[in-house]
Amino acid sequence: MDEFQAEDETTFVVEEVSKIIKESVEATIGGNTYQHNRVNQWTTNVVEQCLSQLSKLGKPFKYIVTCVIMQKNGAGLQTANACFWDNTTDGSCAVRWENKSMYCIVTVFGLAI
Amino acid sequence: MEEYNSGEEILFNSDEATAPIKECIEGVIGGTDYNQNKINQWTASIVERCLNHFVKQGRAFKYIVNCTIMQKSSAGLHTANSCYWDTATDGSCTVRWENRTMYCVVSVFAVAVA
Repeated sequence: MDEFQAEDETTFVVEEVSKIIKESVEATIGGNTYQHNRVNQWTTNVVEQCLSQLSKLGKPFKYIVTCVIMQKNGAGLQTANACFWDNTTDGSCAVRWENKSMYCIVTVFGLAI
Repeated sequence: MEEYNSGEEILFNSDEATAPIKECIEGVIGGTDYNQNKINQWTASIVERCLNHFVKQGRAFKYIVNCTIMQKSSAGLHTANSCYWDTATDGSCTVRWENRTMYCVVSVFAVAVA
């Protein structure tokens, strides 16, 4: 029992992180329409909120959060990630969110210290 | 002097990283036009090439390479990164590249292994 708990505190838990990301995105751009002069502020807010919630988890991890917001206009978009890390402790979580006017893709990478 | 040198080995130099990343991009999509059928393959090749380049350096780092390719249309695209790490040793490098038909943004994050 003790061992299981300790493992939870030192591994990357995808469900937990996914929830944090969804909440940050909804809080920042939920219900908004794509606006060129506000996008800068939105992407900054999404990553900052995610990061502050993640650091509050108090786990021994370094985090990298990326956020992409794209206007819905028929253009094609492709993203890819490759990671060189420790498979037993590190992990990532990507969340794709959309509304009528834009797509938002947030990826969190957690690397154990 | 010796202390300074050993400090350099565990510090990620983002200026030095720009040129090899550009070469990796050019090597895969330089001279091509946006092609929906090939784009999956292109992003995968770019991230693999970049990652191999940095791993070969044999330094005590974990790496994350991110590549985004977007077709040029009138759509707006915005990206942001935020990192919670050790600012003395960790770093990142982002390269923006474009041609007539597409934009490509590659970011490399290097995190020192304790």
